[in-house]
Amino acid sequence: MIKGIGGTNLWVNLTKGTIEKRPVEEEIVKDYLLGAGYLSRILYDMIPPDTDPLSPDNVLGIATGLLTASMFPQASRHVIAALSPLTGVWGESHAAGFWGAELKFAGYDVIIFTGASKSPVYLNIKDDQVDLLDADEIWGTDVFETDDYLRKKHGRLARTLAIGQAGENLVRFAAIMNDRDRASARSGLGAVMGSKRVKAISVRGTGKIEVADPSNYLKVMDVFHRRMLDNPFTPERARYGTTSLVELMQHIGRLPSYNMKQGVFDGYKKIGGDAINEHYLVKPRADFCCLQRCGRYTMVPKGPYKYTGGSPEFETQTSLGSRCGIDNLEAVLFGHHLANQWGMDTISLGGTISWAMEAWENGVITREETGGLDLGWGNHESMIKLIKMIAFREGIGDVLAEGSWRAAQKFGMGSEEYVMTVKKQEIAGQEPRAQKSMGLAAVTAARGADHLYAFPVLDEVGFDDDIKERFGEEYLPEMADRLSPKYKGLMVAECENFMVMVESVGLCKYGTQIPPEFYYEDIAKALKLHNDIDMTVEQLRQIGERVVNLNRMFNVRLGVRRKDDQLPRRLTDFPAPVGPSKGQIVELNEMLNDYYVERGWDIDTGMPKVETLERLGLLKEVRDLPT
Amino acid sequence: MNEYKFVYGDPEVCTGCMICVSTCSMFYHKVISPTQSRVRVLRVEPGLDFPLFCHNCDDAPCIEACPEQALSRTSKGIILVNNKRCVGHGECVKACPYNAITINPDTGKAIKCIQCGQCVKRCPTNAIWTTTRKGLEQKDPDGRLADLYARHEGILYEKEEFA
Repeated sequence: MIKGIGGTNLWVNLTKGTIEKRPVEEEIVKDYLLGAGYLSRILYDMIPPDTDPLSPDNVLGIATGLLTASMFPQASRHVIAALSPLTGVWGESHAAGFWGAELKFAGYDVIIFTGASKSPVYLNIKDDQVDLLDADEIWGTDVFETDDYLRKKHGRLARTLAIGQAGENLVRFAAIMNDRDRASARSGLGAVMGSKRVKAISVRGTGKIEVADPSNYLKVMDVFHRRMLDNPFTPERARYGTTSLVELMQHIGRLPSYNMKQGVFDGYKKIGGDAINEHYLVKPRADFCCLQRCGRYTMVPKGPYKYTGGSPEFETQTSLGSRCGIDNLEAVLFGHHLANQWGMDTISLGGTISWAMEAWENGVITREETGGLDLGWGNHESMIKLIKMIAFREGIGDVLAEGSWRAAQKFGMGSEEYVMTVKKQEIAGQEPRAQKSMGLAAVTAARGADHLYAFPVLDEVGFDDDIKERFGEEYLPEMADRLSPKYKGLMVAECENFMVMVESVGLCKYGTQIPPEFYYEDIAKALKLHNDIDMTVEQLRQIGERVVNLNRMFNVRLGVRRKDDQLPRRLTDFPAPVGPSKGQIVELNEMLNDYYVERGWDIDTGMPKVETLERLGLLKEVRDLPT
Repeated sequence: MNEYKFVYGDPEVCTGCMICVSTCSMFYHKVISPTQSRVRVLRVEPGLDFPLFCHNCDDAPCIEACPEQALSRTSKGIILVNNKRCVGHGECVKACPYNAITINPDTGKAIKCIQCGQCVKRCPTNAIWTTTRKGLEQKDPDGRLADLYARHEGILYEKEEFA
């Protein structure tokens, strides 16, 4: 029996209004762990390729990892997955917080929602007692109001996960929020939850996690904690969170600006980490068992952009800031706050708004369509207004709520050329012409444009020693050179294997990938200590590889091929016009070839080869390969 | 003024990570469970995280309240629960003005902080420390901490309706 977990899955059939408790499927855990891997397996088998993502046939899964609620550093995470309404392919998103740990304390690891409810409901979990309750009173309220309501009703110690109005209104990049300001943002899973009319999940767990080896537990964890705290990155992380990445990325020309026309932004200091710390930071915040405390609690004390609340992250500073040419930090912070309140992914939100701004500059979108708004670069007042119009689908917001790719299809006039998406999802805050591995990672990620599926940061800021340790000295110096395409296929593939494994045990990418403090052997040790699971490093690596291949097969079944693993031409055909990476393009085809070879995928089609799937035990998937 | 020790925390430094909570339940009960921890962490917006412990009161109403005389103060000034005597009435829980005693659902016995310092040494931000009333006055000369606790008194010590 697996120790250290809740042990039970909740299967909620929303059409029938029934809740079933089933034991965690240990056969699946053996091959996929929990978290992302577990959901990858279950959802592959449950979502046929012809499913409409916003229909009752889609399945929404939420899973904690094997180490969620353990004492391993940053063991706070859960993962949510479904067929994405934004990309039409594999949709997956993750968040930290306390909600996942609370679910474990209530005795559960996974929740699977099938069908759709006729009227709004929320799931209320109080240990053994699990009920679908009427959500009429909170349907139409925002994330914070929903949290207030549920904790008033079910006790202040309840932890909540909820959608805001954006999810209800089926905004294609709606997020699922938890603990008020933590976001499972990407892939538009908030819209899936909204389509099922599930407003929230309130959890209170008073139970316990029984670990495999309690006598050695603190002794071993103490060493992991010490390593995390002694890592030179940790003080910097505590001081700035991710906010100082603005300054760092400007320095290497990787700060997406003006809808990714370029990687430098003149106003970067105004939206950077120092500016936030000087004027708006209240304190650093941590999630469950987090030693790095990169979470922020911030405040704009007065004026039109007044608020108090959680975060921001670098991604929002660039998406609502430099990407839109906006250097008004209060507007960026407030925009972020609104996105949390109404429940939206700030990456796709800023990506879509910046596309609209470029379309405005090019005369594709005019005052007539915007209802009088001026969408010129840097117009922060319009940006704030658009955020509301998108969340509530008002005016042009109704079109933009579909995401930039669909909006460009509607507006046409060449605006498709500057849609900065992969598989219809907006590219995150990594100007890939300044870091080639990020360009490759964005096209290979299963959920569409994404920096986190691989999170190939080892070439970002001089992790040469870690590259040597994880890959071997023979790959230096090229692998560590962010401008070199060489060995990036190998690097991205290996990083993907590791990162999906990390998402399957419920840990954070901070501490495992940046800084690269904990690796396979540490996680293997923790799985033994906490779960009584014996896994070798090689087994864990292969699980990661298996999950990536299964995610790929999910997409292959939906028609995804090499032709879909492409970046916008702006990044591959047009050299970076200014900044430290001036003259650079992303040499995508070369890297992609290397990646497919590394993966054992067909170089022409991008489909896994039969022998690759067989090697990984994905025999059923072999039959799903098109002939 | 006596020199009874207690653990205390700075809600502006505490990040709310709950490592103290997990440490406590693991050290004493071999599980990870906030319900079986003698410290609790309460997040109070805007921006405060309160790590909350036994205050080791001079008058110790918990000792008085126990009909089984299961609680007593040792020569070192620590208030201990005698598990042989405790039958889990919960009178001490009701008597504690700081909501710092609970009944462990597994053992049925009262649990409270005994100032062992296991959590203090593991706090990643040094937000908690063992002190005395005099020591705290010295550390908090302008009353910043005392004021934060006083201002949120109602919320901090309210008994949970769902324990």
